[in-house]
Amino acid sequence: MKKLALLSSLIVLCLGFAVAAPQTEISLAYPVAVDAPITAMLKGWAQDYMAANPNVKVTLVFSGGYPDVKTAVQTAIQGGAKAPTLAVMLATDVYDLVNAKYVDSLDDLVAQTPDGAAFVKDFLPAYMGNSYYKDKLWSLPFQRSAVVLYYNADLFAASKLRPPRSWDEMAKDAQALTVDGGKTRWGIEIPTENPYWTFQPLAIGAGKNVYTDDITVDFNAREVIDAVQFYIDLSQKYKATPAGVQSSWGTSTQNFAAGKTAMIIHTTGSLAGILKSAKFKVGVMAVPGRKAGTLASVTGGGNLYLTAGHTADERKAAFDFARFLLDPSRVADFSRATGYIPNRFAAQKTAIYKDWLASVPQAADAVAALAAAQPELATQNLNAVKTVFNKYLQSAFNASMSATEAMNAAQKESDQALADYK
Amino acid sequence: MKRPRILPYVLVAPTLLFVLVFTVLPLGEALVGSLFKLKLNVPKYQHPVFVGLGNFVDLFKDTEFLQVLVNTGLYVLALVPLLLAAALVLAFLVERKLTALSFFRLALFHPTVLPMVSAATIWMFFLTPGYGLWNQGLHLLGYAGPQNWTGNPSLALPALVLVAFWKNVGFMMLFFLAGLQGMDRSVIEAARLDGAGGLRLVTRVILPLIRRQSVFVSTVAFVGAFQTVDHVFVLTQGGPSGTSTLPLYYLWSVRFERLDIGRGDALTVIIIAVLMAFTVANFLVNERHES
Repeated sequence: MKKLALLSSLIVLCLGFAVAAPQTEISLAYPVAVDAPITAMLKGWAQDYMAANPNVKVTLVFSGGYPDVKTAVQTAIQGGAKAPTLAVMLATDVYDLVNAKYVDSLDDLVAQTPDGAAFVKDFLPAYMGNSYYKDKLWSLPFQRSAVVLYYNADLFAASKLRPPRSWDEMAKDAQALTVDGGKTRWGIEIPTENPYWTFQPLAIGAGKNVYTDDITVDFNAREVIDAVQFYIDLSQKYKATPAGVQSSWGTSTQNFAAGKTAMIIHTTGSLAGILKSAKFKVGVMAVPGRKAGTLASVTGGGNLYLTAGHTADERKAAFDFARFLLDPSRVADFSRATGYIPNRFAAQKTAIYKDWLASVPQAADAVAALAAAQPELATQNLNAVKTVFNKYLQSAFNASMSATEAMNAAQKESDQALADYK
Repeated sequence: MKRPRILPYVLVAPTLLFVLVFTVLPLGEALVGSLFKLKLNVPKYQHPVFVGLGNFVDLFKDTEFLQVLVNTGLYVLALVPLLLAAALVLAFLVERKLTALSFFRLALFHPTVLPMVSAATIWMFFLTPGYGLWNQGLHLLGYAGPQNWTGNPSLALPALVLVAFWKNVGFMMLFFLAGLQGMDRSVIEAARLDGAGGLRLVTRVILPLIRRQSVFVSTVAFVGAFQTVDHVFVLTQGGPSGTSTLPLYYLWSVRFERLDIGRGDALTVIIIAVLMAFTVANFLVNERHES
């Protein structure tokens, strides 16, 4: 009897150890700044991953936005603690993150995975531009978007207007659709509290992106100045948009869905929210360029980074979880729920995505806008450069400076901010 | 021989330890760090380079920092006197025996319990051009000026003052109310018998009696004006064109977005120095009045 009791105890003890076998703990820091059921999706996927991989524990950390995630990563690393293993941060932050050694390269993990190279090759090239630096891979596209023009298709049809094909048409359409000086309806709204991103398609549409490479900006190029002037003209000359800087990132989508604005320039990431709220047919297209028939857009969004300071097991588990999240079916599902553009070719071939396109044709228009997209502003010392550019764009929009004065000043100060890298 | 009393020191020790670990030591580190150039995103400055007061000199040559100083001066000069005056007036009003007094006290105090992020988010919608409640209310009063407060370079900073005022006036009112309720009533009665009344009673009798509360509230209001930054993140992000960038927001931007550790440390030293100078001066002036 005693022997039986002892044997039973030993068996229970061994089972206990088996159940309590050490887990590899990883975490994902995610910014929730988009109106979509993302947190529920991620929690569900984390549960699915842990069910399939009981030796890995995944913790999700939700923050306010990209800056909050970046601050959390830095605070942890500078404080000697472990940062979240994976973090979704702005794709364009790659230079600063790599220079400061806050993130690890993914090259070794890709090489260790049997189909690693094919996996990386499946991402859309437009979204891989910010993933490489110093000939190494540093991040994978996660929630990528583009800037597009949303327009009230029913209103355009009722007003016998066609979707604009040039700046001139866009301005005149907006003017025609403005009612009661904007009190009832504006023709167009462009959020400009953080203006560089929504402004970039206008510059690209004029013929020149705002930068050339990571140490060269072109803020005072003639085309960029013309784009600034066009924005000013939309309010001053055409009276089709509120004058000055508009702190309307959150309210412009609501205004559009409520019919108070005929057109908005916004992210594809707002597509799902707009379609849910709008009671009219919503049109989506790239932003018309200056010349008739030309289109322009700019990429945007966040990439998945592997932060520095983790063990080999944690890195391996994190990369495996990243691959799980970036499985084509999940990428398609994520796009369907949010409006972010599917970042993998394989995702665009899934039944989920094809069914979504069939029921939401605007999704295809959002993807099509990518063909006209150029890279988002991404330089060394990015925040300093963006702060300068935003400051002077806003000065021009608020008529504190002329477009030429503002862009010349922006060029001068940005060159100073980039001097250490030349 | 009398045994030294150690109980007071034992009771104060946890607070002192907290202040040492979370204030004094980090301040010392910032002081040392401010003497070095260290920029994590610039390869040649990724190891500290001793520059002495170079970070401070660079700051005072930087137009962006000078704009922050101007913004801060305007913000503090507008907010602190407004808070003190309004809190005092409200304290006088709610000290009386009014119908539904508890409701009014609660209504005035309730913004205090909201996190600043929540308060700023509420005001973000109040300040929406066209249909925001603030603009609609102003329109009823005959206002015909700009409505886009957070995007207008002349109104962005006043918008921040407005939100901070709404959030904190109830809190400041409480301290003045406590002071008024704790006053020796016989002094007030005696002053009334001597013919003092109205403004004279307030300025010559009541305010001196609540001087300690005034010093405390003014210190808290001044320090709070420097510390509050959440509403900047939510409402203006320091814009437009840097016209509403306040010190802590600028510090966050320099340290966490631009990864300029040396400059961030220099900013920290300047902010702490200003706050300490004001606090010490405030108390010294009060001590002189008392004696």
